[in-house]
Amino acid sequence: MKSVFITFDISHKEAVIDILTHNNCRGFSFFDHMQGRGSVSGEPHYGTHAWPSMCGSIITVVEDKHVDNILKEIKALDEDSPQLGLRAFVWSIEKSY
Amino acid sequence: MSIYESAVKKPIMTSLCFLAIALFGVFSFSKLPIDLMPDIETNTIMVFTYYNGASAEDIENNVSRPLENTLNSVEHLKHITSNSRENVSVITLEFEFGYDIDDLTNDVRDKLDMVASALPDDANNPIIFKFSTDMIPIMMLSVKAEESQAALYKILDDNVVNPLARIDGVGTVSISGAPEREINVYMDPAKMEAYNIPVESVSAAIGAENRNIPGGTFDIGNNTYALRVEGEFSDPKEMYDIVVGNFNGVNVFLKDVATIHDNVQERAQETYTDGQQGAMIIVQKQSGGNSVAISQAIRDALPELQKRLPSDVKIDIIVDTSENILQTVDTLSGTIMDALVFVVLVVFIFLGRWRATIIIAITIPFSLIASFIYLYATGGSINMISLSCLSIAIGSVVDDAIVVLENVTTHIERGSSPQNAAIHGTNEVGVSVMASTLTMFAVFFPLTMVTGMAGVLFKQLGWMMCIIMLISLVASLTLTPMMCAKMLKLQKKQSKIFLLIYRPIQKVLDAIDNGYAAIINWAVRHRWTVLAGCFGLFAVSLLCAKGIKSEFFPANDSARASAKIELPVGTRIDTSRDIALKLTNIWRERYGKDIKACNFTVGQADENNTFASLSDNGSHIISFNMSFVPSDQRELSIDEICDQMRADVKEFPEIAKSNISTGQGGGMGGQSMATFEIYGYDFKETDRLAKEFANEMKKSDLITQVNISRSDYQPQYRVEFDREKLAMHGLNLSTAATYIRNRYNGALATYYREDGEEYDVKVRYNPEARQSINDIENIKLIGSNGLISLREVGKVVMNDMPPTIERKDRERIVTVDAVMAAGAALSDGVTYGQSIIEQMEIPTGIAIQVAGSYEDQQESNRDLGQLAIIILVLVFIVMASQFESLTYPFILMFSVVFALSGVLLGLFITGSHLNIMSMLGGIMLIGMVVKNGIVLIDYIMLLRERGLGIIAACVGAAKSRLRPVLMTTCTTILGMIPMAVSQGVGAEMWRPLGIAVIGGLTISTIMTMIYVPAMYSIFAANGVKNKRRRIRKQRELNEYWKEHKQEEQLKHKDK
Repeated sequence: MKSVFITFDISHKEAVIDILTHNNCRGFSFFDHMQGRGSVSGEPHYGTHAWPSMCGSIITVVEDKHVDNILKEIKALDEDSPQLGLRAFVWSIEKSY
Repeated sequence: MSIYESAVKKPIMTSLCFLAIALFGVFSFSKLPIDLMPDIETNTIMVFTYYNGASAEDIENNVSRPLENTLNSVEHLKHITSNSRENVSVITLEFEFGYDIDDLTNDVRDKLDMVASALPDDANNPIIFKFSTDMIPIMMLSVKAEESQAALYKILDDNVVNPLARIDGVGTVSISGAPEREINVYMDPAKMEAYNIPVESVSAAIGAENRNIPGGTFDIGNNTYALRVEGEFSDPKEMYDIVVGNFNGVNVFLKDVATIHDNVQERAQETYTDGQQGAMIIVQKQSGGNSVAISQAIRDALPELQKRLPSDVKIDIIVDTSENILQTVDTLSGTIMDALVFVVLVVFIFLGRWRATIIIAITIPFSLIASFIYLYATGGSINMISLSCLSIAIGSVVDDAIVVLENVTTHIERGSSPQNAAIHGTNEVGVSVMASTLTMFAVFFPLTMVTGMAGVLFKQLGWMMCIIMLISLVASLTLTPMMCAKMLKLQKKQSKIFLLIYRPIQKVLDAIDNGYAAIINWAVRHRWTVLAGCFGLFAVSLLCAKGIKSEFFPANDSARASAKIELPVGTRIDTSRDIALKLTNIWRERYGKDIKACNFTVGQADENNTFASLSDNGSHIISFNMSFVPSDQRELSIDEICDQMRADVKEFPEIAKSNISTGQGGGMGGQSMATFEIYGYDFKETDRLAKEFANEMKKSDLITQVNISRSDYQPQYRVEFDREKLAMHGLNLSTAATYIRNRYNGALATYYREDGEEYDVKVRYNPEARQSINDIENIKLIGSNGLISLREVGKVVMNDMPPTIERKDRERIVTVDAVMAAGAALSDGVTYGQSIIEQMEIPTGIAIQVAGSYEDQQESNRDLGQLAIIILVLVFIVMASQFESLTYPFILMFSVVFALSGVLLGLFITGSHLNIMSMLGGIMLIGMVVKNGIVLIDYIMLLRERGLGIIAACVGAAKSRLRPVLMTTCTTILGMIPMAVSQGVGAEMWRPLGIAVIGGLTISTIMTMIYVPAMYSIFAANGVKNKRRRIRKQRELNEYWKEHKQEEQLKHKDK
């Protein structure tokens, strides 16, 4: 089992959830209105006057076999609209109940 | 879920909601009446008090004064004026605008009850009369007749007046110029004396013979019959055989002493249209009636009525108030359509996308139509103010939608889906869109609270603009994002044709962007030079202010003129008629192609004619009514024609007084008049002063006509009886006076009935016996010992009748009205008048002051000034709250200063006058011009927050915000251009408004876009310096503290 943490410009919300659904991943947790900025060129998302846009994040735990496909689709989505910002990070799940 | 999110996600609901608004709007629109101006509530109450037999001075002292003193304490009273003339006192109470006239009438009634006991015993109870604009006739019809002239009254009464009066909304219809039939019994004084039969006996005899009397009922067998005596004449000639008296035992018949003339009233007004005799029909509407609908109904009815008339009787329309209203409304509707096209074009040029243009354009009809619902709900009408309001609004309603659409487009271009872009894009700019609408509210809401004359005009405008702005705000936050979500998409490839057309435009726009960025780059590095330049220009524009003339209200070319020509008192109607016909010929020859109809009325009006008896009339007074072709079809303006007509009148030395005026007269729309009031008790002194002043005024080229309100002493013959001698003959004064009246004016003997109509039968001396003073002295009175001559008991003397005594605010007054020549400004006339007053020697107790429309102008200037201050403060508050700063609003407030320069320059260059309409434009500018600054400074701040330096932020913001600013400004300016250049009917009213807004907005936008970055950089640089200084001081203090910590602590301990 892997945990996938996806952080994105809030406009991507529906598209990201679509990707998860598409990959048979039902469960996720969504964090609305988060702030953040990209490590290299990503624009800040602060919800302020200067940087009005906001981030959202989704954390989900999926079977290992789905991870690659999810990452592939997310990468494709990001490359479609590089200015919005979309990243996914994956790490292992030790235990769960 | 926020409002924009639900709007985007529920497109059907959103679009149907707006459809519902539009439906309501269209429904309201179809029900709205059309008028020239919003309903002006009456603010005048008149009090009539009749006191028969009292002279003007008696009336003044015993009636007018006590009434004035009491009525003066009624609340909200602005001016109290009174006219005291023989037998009657007329007090006019003018109230402040905006109070319920019914409440005021009750107050007045209460006060009148209080004072009633103080009035003379013989004075009748005061009558309260509310004057309203409904009394102004809405239509005047001219009737030309040849052989039917003698019977014209009856023909018109049966076939025209009665059908017209039945039309819904028509109040009174009266005929003037067509004398009514009258049976005149002319008595021969010599025969009367011979047979010893006075007028009274003849009159009584005729009255007694012309009767139908029921005699009761009686039974014959099984039936009951009515018994009647029917003596009414079936032909006036029957009267010849009436026995009127007895002389030496022989019956005297009427034919022995009198002749019967079955013709028309002796003294009547004559009406001529285009030189041909006829009559005039005057139509007044019921109060609250819709003039346009009524006029239309009358117009529709006329062809049918014409068919019923004899072939020589022709009816034409001289004055139709609806014509001007409809033409004005047409012109204005035209400008609205032009504005709409311009605005859509501008949006397309700047956005370069059809879909975006449609999204923006669709907010215009929705916002505008919504205002009709307000008009319908509050009982308003489609008028000049409401239509100008729409025309003004077109440019501004798109602003909010443009901001939203622009941001949504940015999001789409960054890669968001249209739906997400619409929601988040709107969310980001929602607050600033609301703030900018709030600044517009700050401007237009106070307009709804203006009082006075200006308030009447601005209240509707204020409310309409507020509603339009509100709907446009709601539309931009719901409809616009919804449509963006549905219609916009990332444009990946553009068609070749489109590129062919749009690429040049794109290049120009890019060049402008770059050029402007370069200018700003220079400007922020030369801040003080830019600032000095800007304020230098402001100073220059103030110089222009000296060259701008002021007036109260723009003159409205209503294509109508009226003239009152007075010949010396006592001129016979024949002489007056000749002069009138000569004038008609001259005018028809000189202005023939412009005149549609030229009609005049001359002579004494019948007492029964309501309309005619309201205005001055007499055998020496000629009243002209002229209508002209619409202003866009003639070269000369109505003012110029009137000026030339005044010159024409001067060629007739026999004319004593003339007053030629344009339009409906009164405060609005006519030619400007400088009014001067001379207060003083002494008749002779004030008369002399008024004449002297008037003569001086006439010398100026600025003034074409001067009227003095106080008329001359009127010559009259007076019979002075010797009471003692009267008593010897068993007479008293009133009996003797009645005898004179019966012989000259005529005794009403009875009514002759024919076909259901009644005609007066009047008995009096024959005309030959009523021609000289000698004839008067020969009048036979009935004494106790038979007939006596008037000569035996009295004499006839000639003297002057004192004129009407006018008072204002409880002092005697003479008003001198100077009518300004075409193109001359009211302010010049007033200044000229004041310079004359300064040179005149004014005796103590007499004061001259400026009043009339100049006073109104000063008052509305004061009101508008206060309004401007309130608006400025409100706008400042809105901006300060938005920026959470006092500095930035302060910078932006300077755009208002430049708007002022723009208005002044605009008026100066076009040679327009400063009036209430241009000032309204100026006030609206306050809201419009700061919007540009807000957009710019907001973005500069944004870039600064993103970490850019002052100069880079200024240049970057300037480059990025130029297009939105240019776009919103161009839509507003181009929306106004049709107003400013329109030449149609009524255009002269709103042209100053268009010029003011265009001038102000152009200059202010150019200046704002250059000086705001410069000014910002000054303040920001100071802010940075101050911050550095503060930090340095803090650091120095900290270092000092570190070094001297122990010493300082010791000092503390010592203390």
